[in-house]
Amino acid sequence: MNYSTISSALASQSYDKIADICDNLMLQVAAEGVSYQDEWPYAIHLLGHIYVDDINSARFIWKSIPSSIKENKLEVVAAWKIGQKLWTRDYGGVHEAIRGFDWSQELNGLVAAYSELYTKKMFQLLLSAYSTISIQDTAVFLGMTEDDATSYVLQQGWAVDPASRMLTVKKQPIVTEQKVDPGKLQRLTEYVFHLEH
Amino acid sequence: MDPLEQLVAQIVGLSDTDIPRLLGILKASDDLLRADWTRLSSVLSQLDPFKHSLGFLYILEASTAGPTTKEQAETVVPIITSFIDACAAEQIRSIPDKFISLCKRFKDQVVLLETPIRGVAPMLAALKKLQTSTEHLTPLHPEFLMLCLLAKCYKTGLSILEDDIFEVDQPKDLFLYCYYGGMICIGQKHFQKALELLHIVVTAPMSTMNAIAVEAYKKYILVSLIRHGQFSTSLPKYASSTAQRNLKSFCQPYIELANTYGTGKIEGLETYVQSNAETFESDNNFGLVKQVVSSNYKRNIQRLTQTYLTLSLQDIANTVKLNGPKEAEMHVLQMIQDGEIYATINQKDGMVRFLEDPEQYKTCEMIEHIDSSIQRIMALSKKLTVMDERISCDQAYLSKVGRERPRYDMDDFDTVPTKFTI
Repeated sequence: MNYSTISSALASQSYDKIADICDNLMLQVAAEGVSYQDEWPYAIHLLGHIYVDDINSARFIWKSIPSSIKENKLEVVAAWKIGQKLWTRDYGGVHEAIRGFDWSQELNGLVAAYSELYTKKMFQLLLSAYSTISIQDTAVFLGMTEDDATSYVLQQGWAVDPASRMLTVKKQPIVTEQKVDPGKLQRLTEYVFHLEH
Repeated sequence: MDPLEQLVAQIVGLSDTDIPRLLGILKASDDLLRADWTRLSSVLSQLDPFKHSLGFLYILEASTAGPTTKEQAETVVPIITSFIDACAAEQIRSIPDKFISLCKRFKDQVVLLETPIRGVAPMLAALKKLQTSTEHLTPLHPEFLMLCLLAKCYKTGLSILEDDIFEVDQPKDLFLYCYYGGMICIGQKHFQKALELLHIVVTAPMSTMNAIAVEAYKKYILVSLIRHGQFSTSLPKYASSTAQRNLKSFCQPYIELANTYGTGKIEGLETYVQSNAETFESDNNFGLVKQVVSSNYKRNIQRLTQTYLTLSLQDIANTVKLNGPKEAEMHVLQMIQDGEIYATINQKDGMVRFLEDPEQYKTCEMIEHIDSSIQRIMALSKKLTVMDERISCDQAYLSKVGRERPRYDMDDFDTVPTKFTI
């Protein structure tokens, strides 16, 4: 079996492509009739789906893994643990699952990149969903100590009330592109023409 | 010369030059192939799957005709896999039935070997070779989706569901394609798309009831509750009268589930689901039913947003029957994350403020989105016009309309086709 495409994607840090590469390679290998399950890089495959937020696919991969592998390969189980926490929306549990395993050299980069991405996502979620939130909860969502979490959000302009240990969220104005290019006008003309005929 | 070898020689000779003639010869050789089927696999080695696709297909199809054991399947599956990979599309398209029959047998064999994943990529390649355009639904589409479901390759299945279908060979293909497609979308939680596909199944023309439509209707009810929080038992007017009359009576437990859901009382819903768990389990719909139950909480929270501007987490927990404000907070948070409501949580005061949808429909992205929808609708409307024109010129249609016309008002006669003269 040739895993070079996977390893080069890992090496070039194109983590968002891992899931598709693994999916295609798996189908190709399976079609050739090779018994691939024993050496298939399930942990990478699972994390590839998790990285692009496709928990459904990760779950289906997990379901198709033979039980002997689930029992013997700890890293595969650890990778799915992250998926499981995401599936049950155990926001703090995801950080624990990431930290709770000593990842192999090969996966370290991918896991670290995902951890960073997930922390950013959690920050965006807090930003959109809360007007005030306790320091304690913020620390759980961001997977940091309370002090680190406080200084992280203070940098983003949030305010802290030491008495109640509450943070006030500072909404960031969302900048969106609103300029319309002239080509659209041409299209509109075509639509009107279409409606009249 | 041995007749079989003679046939092989003809295949080799004619494959480049005269496909129609070769097809005629092969069609006439069915008996020969059936009589000599034990020798067929050895003959195959003399042919090239790409250059002699047509002959190869005929002989391969004949050699796999009988019932197969696991051992035989083990040897045949790789041969068919490499044939699908190598064969020339123009040649196999001249006799689609043989190719379809071979591919269906191939599916049966990988299922027999309990390795459906082996068939996914080849079946996709096969259907791409067979279809004349992406608008063409081949009988291999449902086979491919079924393999995806069995092999749990849901994401791979999604790839062909994005194509809009306008050409169908057999009604059964469309029914199965939409049903399996709906299941794939359910697995990936693309509920809107699942609803569209299942809707096609239940509203498709049918003269008698069929099991596919019944199962699709059950899932349609459940997905509609999950996606929209409601279900209307009346089918649109264009649904067949068979479906209008009969579907409901086949799906009574599901209709009642929808009624219970509509009351918004979670205890009642849970009791109903528990007492009917066996029915739902035997239909393999229990997982979906559980999602229906949990969507009821969401629906009730969504309903609150229509009445209140701010509400305490405690009040939400009380109204929606959740265990305490923390659980209510998590529910609201999840819904914000999924874009199902717009709200901000104030932990300090334990309050939630409901907001309006911030979308103002003026970003470039939204314009792009609307634009592409308009384009799709325009393309569809053009297709409809072409179809309409074709029917209006159709001999059979005109003569039928002409015959029925006298029953109408005398005033209508001026628009009657020309063969009508008064």
